[in-house]
Amino acid sequence: MSAGSFTDRFSFSIRAKLAIVGLVLLVIPWVGYTYVKTMENLLRENQVQAVVATARAVAAALQDRPRLLELRAPAAAEGSAAQPRPVSEEIQLLVTGLARAGSRIWIIDSHLRLVATAGNLDPASVAANDRLAFGPLERAVRTVLQFVFEQVQRPVAESVEEVIPNDVVFGGREIERALDGTPSWRSRKAADGRTAIITALNPVWVGDTVVGAVVVEETTQAIVSFSNRALVQLAAVTLIAFSVGALTLFFFASSLSTRLRKLRDEADNAIDSQGRVRGLVAGEHARDEIGDLSRGFSTVLERLAQYNSYLENLAGRLTHELRTPIAVVRSSLDNMKLQDGAKETGVYLTRAEDGLNRLETILTRMSEATRLEQTVRGGERETFDANKVVAGCVEGYAAAYPQRRFTMTLPDAPLPLSGAADLFAQMLDKLAANAVDFATGDPIEITLEHSGNTVVIRFSNTGPLLPAEMNERLFESMVSVRAERATPEPHLGLGLYIVRQIAEFHGGRATAMDRADGSGVTFELRFPLSL
Amino acid sequence: MNYGELWQRAPALFPSGIVGPPDPEPVMRRRIAIVEDDAVIRANYADVLGRHGYEVAAYADRPSALAALRSRLPDLVLLDIGLGDEVDGGFKLCQELRALSSTLPMIFLTARDSDFDLVSGLRMGADDYVTKNVSLPHLLARVSALFRRAELAGAPAPADSIIERGPLALDLNRFGVSWRGNAIDLTLTEFWLVHALAKFPGHVKNRDQLMGEAHVVVDDSTITSHIKRIRRKFAAVDPAFDCVDTVYGLGYRWKAAN
Repeated sequence: MSAGSFTDRFSFSIRAKLAIVGLVLLVIPWVGYTYVKTMENLLRENQVQAVVATARAVAAALQDRPRLLELRAPAAAEGSAAQPRPVSEEIQLLVTGLARAGSRIWIIDSHLRLVATAGNLDPASVAANDRLAFGPLERAVRTVLQFVFEQVQRPVAESVEEVIPNDVVFGGREIERALDGTPSWRSRKAADGRTAIITALNPVWVGDTVVGAVVVEETTQAIVSFSNRALVQLAAVTLIAFSVGALTLFFFASSLSTRLRKLRDEADNAIDSQGRVRGLVAGEHARDEIGDLSRGFSTVLERLAQYNSYLENLAGRLTHELRTPIAVVRSSLDNMKLQDGAKETGVYLTRAEDGLNRLETILTRMSEATRLEQTVRGGERETFDANKVVAGCVEGYAAAYPQRRFTMTLPDAPLPLSGAADLFAQMLDKLAANAVDFATGDPIEITLEHSGNTVVIRFSNTGPLLPAEMNERLFESMVSVRAERATPEPHLGLGLYIVRQIAEFHGGRATAMDRADGSGVTFELRFPLSL
Repeated sequence: MNYGELWQRAPALFPSGIVGPPDPEPVMRRRIAIVEDDAVIRANYADVLGRHGYEVAAYADRPSALAALRSRLPDLVLLDIGLGDEVDGGFKLCQELRALSSTLPMIFLTARDSDFDLVSGLRMGADDYVTKNVSLPHLLARVSALFRRAELAGAPAPADSIIERGPLALDLNRFGVSWRGNAIDLTLTEFWLVHALAKFPGHVKNRDQLMGEAHVVVDDSTITSHIKRIRRKFAAVDPAFDCVDTVYGLGYRWKAAN
């Protein structure tokens, strides 16, 4: 049904819109990421300065002890640099005291010989205690998003011992510049490709000569791992916030669309095919805009119902109000007739009476509908055989409408209905009169059948089809689809209204439809069997 | 139905004696009171009744009618239900008059046609209930019928005015009905309906025919409720009563009782 697909599209649309609104949350990780990156850069600059300062400090310390390098220089020139010497031990002691995890200090003399070295750049030692810093939340997120974090964290685990790269020691511009007397620093990528190694070089002066250089290296592992941690935390927080937000939004949207759909469905069915108005109950107590909408709609429907009942009572009131003036006319005409000398005016009297009779027919029709409403409200019921009533009525129609042929299809078994046989016959009369008025050819087919617990009666005749826009309203009071033409009988559109009233009194429904082949129309009545 | 035609055929339609030409010199002029708040209708009814030899007293509201009628009771009263400001003034007046006389014939003549009003009116003690679209010949038929009934109340019925159909006896002069010896209190309309059906047992009378014979012009469902009431009144004295038979789609017929 079209309403169903409309429903789905409708509710999806609100959820989709809220999902788009939810994308705003994505700005949180972006801001966080930018912040972490900025912090990382700041820390790195700090680290560079620290490394440079360390190099300068070591160089200054060595300057105070020129002997350490000078004494060593000739000896080193003669033999292996690896040979331990007391001087060398002293210098080693000095640098070892300065080195710490993730940093390495080495000292070379003016001949590019390694005098001492301490510390290492093994990132594992730096990262080892970081892992424990993850809270349960991050750990959970890491478990969920393991793959992503493996990509981020892998280099930490797989790091290898940094060797002093050749390009630094031999032919490295920075070394040359340092031995020339200019301190400098540089940053290069570590083997893992993620962390960087900051190298600061400072010349060691003795007098005016450069006797060596201090090289301080430090890995940015600590910063990277700190930033990684921050990112993981950020990811975790974002993910959780996003999930909670998205879930909340989803439930909110779902409840909104469910309420709206319920309201829409109720509004759709607020006026049924018989033209009766029902109130809305969905959200009538809600204090939000949907509640307002529901209440507003209910008010509109209430007014519509009042208007409808006004229309339905109109016939009754009109009958009552018109009866008095008609009585005036009627009694005056009767008086005129009784007077002598009425002969000449006789023809006019007759015409006036004809008009009056038509008026009275209208009144009678209208009062019939009103009276019926009262009878139906009274609701006296008995069980009668629909089969017998239909058979009797259709026989009667053959006599009442000799100009048309009727065919009748009846089941063998009696079909007990609960209601009033008189009213039932009156309803059939209306349908027969309706069929005869509209039929353009023979026969008028009347069928009675039952399937399960339902009795179905059909009146089918050839003739003009139902106007599409009136289909639903045919059975309302004062609705007529007859062309505006001069008919000897007045038509008020009450016949089918009476049919509907009686059908409902019997717990049934009346519908009208075109014949499948388009040759005419069929009126169908469905009733529950009385068991 | 065409009223002009009806008027021409009136003598033939109505059982002889029910309505006749106006008595040129009535021995004693009968007095009819009309209580009706619409001046034109009141005057029209007064005119036609006066022309038919009745003495007419017309009143517009309940207090004036009651005051005048208390001092001198009329022979028949035509009553509207709604009287000026009093929506149910007619009902009240009917009760008050009934308290003054138990035999005074009263006819409700009103625009209100609901079953509820009809039943209320008859319960207040009226003899008949007619809606205002009744034609004057029909009204006159009722008036003279009620007079006849009142006049002959005590006298023995002549044998030729009695129709007997098994346990049913109809007294055409006094509009009395009895079933298995029990008198049944029918209104004029109901009497005429029973008469129309029982005259030719087995013949189906459709609603239009019944309306003609009962001197009423009403809608089909009013006939249906009249028939219902008739059945109920008979069933009150004989629960097995089922002589008024519905022939669906056609009308009603009198089924001979066994």
